[in-house]
Amino acid sequence: MEMRDVTMPKVPAPSLSRFPRKPAIKIRASQSPVISQLKDAWAHRELLYFLIWRDLKVRYRQTLLGAGWVILQPLLTTIVFTVFLSMLVRVPSDGLPYPLFAYAGLLPWMFFSNSVSTSTYSLTSNSYIITKVYFPRLIIPAAIVGVRLVDFIVASVVLIGLMLGYGVSVTSGILLLPLLVAEMALFSLAISWWFSVLNVKYRDIGTLLPVLIQLWMFISPVIYPSSLVPIRWRPIYSLNPISGMLEAFRASLFGLPFDWTGLAISAVVTVVLFAYFIYVFCRWEEHLIDIL
Amino acid sequence: MQPILQVRKLGKQYRVRGFSRMNPTLGDAVVKAAKSSFRRHNGNTKGNDELLWVLKDVSFEVLPGEVVGIIGRNGAGKSTLLKILSRIIKPTTGEADIFGRVGSLLEIGTGFHPELTGRENVYLNGAIIGMRREEIKRNFDEIVAFAEVERFIETPVKYYSSGMYVRLAFAVAAHFEPEILILDEVLAVGDAAFREKCLEKMREVSRGGRTVFYVSHDLTSVQQLCGRALLIEGGRLREDGEPSMVISEYLRTISSPEGLPVI
Repeated sequence: MEMRDVTMPKVPAPSLSRFPRKPAIKIRASQSPVISQLKDAWAHRELLYFLIWRDLKVRYRQTLLGAGWVILQPLLTTIVFTVFLSMLVRVPSDGLPYPLFAYAGLLPWMFFSNSVSTSTYSLTSNSYIITKVYFPRLIIPAAIVGVRLVDFIVASVVLIGLMLGYGVSVTSGILLLPLLVAEMALFSLAISWWFSVLNVKYRDIGTLLPVLIQLWMFISPVIYPSSLVPIRWRPIYSLNPISGMLEAFRASLFGLPFDWTGLAISAVVTVVLFAYFIYVFCRWEEHLIDIL
Repeated sequence: MQPILQVRKLGKQYRVRGFSRMNPTLGDAVVKAAKSSFRRHNGNTKGNDELLWVLKDVSFEVLPGEVVGIIGRNGAGKSTLLKILSRIIKPTTGEADIFGRVGSLLEIGTGFHPELTGRENVYLNGAIIGMRREEIKRNFDEIVAFAEVERFIETPVKYYSSGMYVRLAFAVAAHFEPEILILDEVLAVGDAAFREKCLEKMREVSRGGRTVFYVSHDLTSVQQLCGRALLIEGGRLREDGEPSMVISEYLRTISSPEGLPVI
């Protein structure tokens, strides 16, 4: 924690005016430096683990469907899109079987969209805990992204099954996969943090959310390849980090050529937004507690 | 002796909105922005808002091992003070330095989830209030014994009776051992027998050399348990000293006809 070089505080009691020990906790009216908030969040990482563990336990205990939904959601959506975008309307899919193409796009997309959807309400719906106990609130949306990451891993079992079923062989591009998943997690965290504080300040963000997510899905190459997008729109299209990430995800899985420019843009935007929205969250959180 | 807690001119101000909504929607914000671009700044843009000091200029020091009672009427600012010391909310002015871990028990069972078993909730609730995992593990058997729920510890708490629920919740809180403990008297819950057990545990904690803040409306227990008392009235620290003196001052103010403003 930061130690400021200011003059000693004017203490009313004459007995004690020298405090050689650094206080374990400093409560100040001024904004806490973001670094100390991050350190505090790191110190509470055990709680982050418990929150993730809690959600997973409840989900996988409650109903068979609860666990099954994690797989059914992308699977059913893939089936619907296959019928409408492959059979009825012929949408190209980079030379891959459409169901495989779509599932590989929907899986990471749902990781992102489910994280953001749930996180948006995470602070407001947990207000009864937040106003009674202190812990760094940064970990609340982080726990949600953690849960969705586990869901992602579980649902990727189906992806492996599909790859085996269609006889797709794995190339060296697969080595990039962990990095891509990490990038998706960082981006999901960034947007989750942002939306969670936005929703505390402006409660109608929640109603805008479904529309926003829907639009975002259509401007990303989830269920169609970005090769469909006209060349002159491609630069703007690539500004959406999801584009670069999804294409790279499919490229690494199926041995397609990588769009390195798109990936680079998405990585840069992700890192910038991650840093910015952590900062925004830390700055807003301390004041928002008053209106929670 | 070094103080374990030092509070300097702590204050909390809230803005009470006059006519506009507490939580503006995005739509409101857009309209407001559009309106203000038409209206010239004549210093009246915040005319509808009222600023309220719920806590002002509170300063005191606590030495390690002191048991401090905090008394005052409802709305006087006690829970605001506690929330600031617990870091739940930030002060508007002033500062506090705390030389130790703070455990704040303003409520029991925070975070309990009905679908999880008693065991799982002990770990979860323990983690939420600030216990470390090995601490919980170490105290686990005692917690369960104190709550008298051994037979049901592996059952989801949604099947617990309300008595079992509060006993388990209190048991977790009772085994939390931070250097500074903030206890709200409402923690003593359950039936008469268990309430007595809770109060006995609180007495035990108070005698144990731990620094304790004990918020209570029960002046007898404040008198019995505390070596020092703070009277919070109208957001300010009115009295700070020996319990019987502070208590009689408190009784004097509540019986006098001109009561101080309450939020």
